[in-house]
Amino acid sequence: MKLKYIPVFTDDMDALISFYSEKLGFTVAGKMAFIEGWEGTVLEADNLPDAAIVVTAGNTTNNKACIILSTDDCLADYHLYKSKGLFFCTAPRYLPAGMQAEFLDPAGNLFVLLEERNYNEL
Amino acid sequence: MDYSKTLRNNNKIYSRTGSQRQSQQHAADFSMRFVLSGNERYDIGHRNLSIYPDSFLLLNSGTQYSSDTDSSEPVQSFHINFDRQFLQDFRDCITMKDSKLLARQGTAAKPDQEYNETIYPFRGDIRYNVHHLKHHLDNGIQDEMLINEYLHHCLINYYSIYNEEVLTKVDKLGFLNKGTRLEILRRLNMAKEYLYSNFNQNISLDDLADHACLSVNHLLRTFKQAFNQTPHQFLIQLRLQRAQLLLKSTKYPINEVVNLIGFECPSSFIRLFKTHYKITPLKYRQTA
Repeated sequence: MKLKYIPVFTDDMDALISFYSEKLGFTVAGKMAFIEGWEGTVLEADNLPDAAIVVTAGNTTNNKACIILSTDDCLADYHLYKSKGLFFCTAPRYLPAGMQAEFLDPAGNLFVLLEERNYNEL
Repeated sequence: MDYSKTLRNNNKIYSRTGSQRQSQQHAADFSMRFVLSGNERYDIGHRNLSIYPDSFLLLNSGTQYSSDTDSSEPVQSFHINFDRQFLQDFRDCITMKDSKLLARQGTAAKPDQEYNETIYPFRGDIRYNVHHLKHHLDNGIQDEMLINEYLHHCLINYYSIYNEEVLTKVDKLGFLNKGTRLEILRRLNMAKEYLYSNFNQNISLDDLADHACLSVNHLLRTFKQAFNQTPHQFLIQLRLQRAQLLLKSTKYPINEVVNLIGFECPSSFIRLFKTHYKITPLKYRQTA
C-alpha cells in the first residue's frame, strides 16, 4: 500500500491546472472520479513518481491542503522555481528538520519544499 | 576535480585534489578552507594548524599563511574566497533595518571586520550546503545566481556557528568584563585548535597551556566553563570522531586506526567507542 493521490479543491480549475503545469512542471494525466460526484483532473510530475495531485472543483474556504515536497537540495529547487516566476512566502530557512521554503498556490494551498537533514551524522 | 572559478562579483572558489606537497604563501581574502578528504596543514605565524574533513579554517583578509598537503592519500581541498563587497552587503543585509537599507546612499567603505580566525567544526547545515555547492560545480553549473545563493547561505551558516561557538561560550565564562571574556575565549580557541591539529600526538597539559598563553590551572578552569568538558574529554571525543571518519572512509584495520588517532591500546579504544556510540568500531564500519 502507498499514499498516492492528493486532492486539492479550487473554484477556478483552469487557473490552478495552468499554475501546476507552468510553474511546477506537472502534466495532465487524465480525468477521473475517485469519489462519487467529485470528478477531478489528475496531474503527475516526472520527479514525483509515486504521487499525483487531483484538482477538483469545490469550495476552497474549508478545504486547504498542506503539501510537503521532499527534496535533496532545497536551495537549488528554490532557485529553479523562483526563476520560473514562483513567489515564495518564506525564503529558505533552517528548522530542526532541515531546510525548508514555503509557497502558496492560487487556491491557497500551502506547499513546503523540505530538505531533511540529519544533524547527528558526522 | 580541479578548477578555480571567479564569479562576476569577485567571489572565488577553488577545488583541488592532489597528494604531492605544495607550499604557498600569500595574503588571502576573507576565506573558508575545507578539506573533504585527507588533511591539509596551515602555518599562520607560529601556529601550525591541520584541517580534517570534520573541521574548517577561517582566514581573515590580509592574513599571511603557508599551506601544504603531505600525505599518501589524495587530499581534496575546497576553498571559498569572499569578495569584500559581497561580505559587506551580507553584513548590512542582516544587521540593518529594511528602511535603513533602502535609504542608504552610496556605499561608504567600512573597516573590515575581524573574525575569530580559528578552526570551526564542519558539520550541520554548512556541511550540507558546501557539499551541494561542490556537487553542482563538479557538474559544471554556470548559474552564478545559484552559486551566490549558496555562498550567501555559507555566510549565514558561518554566522550561526560563530554565534554558537564564540558568543554563547563567551557568556558562559565567569568574568565581569566582556573584553576579558572575549580574550580568554580567543585563547581557549587556540587551545582547541591545538587539540584539533595535534589530536594524534601525546599532548601534555603544559604544552597546551603554553600554546594558549594561559596557566595550566587557568586553562583547565576556563575550558570547562566555556565548553562544559575538560580538555582531555574534548580530546577523547575528537579522537573518537576522527576514528569514525577513518572507519567510514578508509579500509585501515582497527589496530592501524587506533594508532592513527593517537590511542595506545586497542582495547581501551574499543571500550570507549562502544560506550560513546553504543556500537563497536567493526559493526560501525559494516553499517556505514
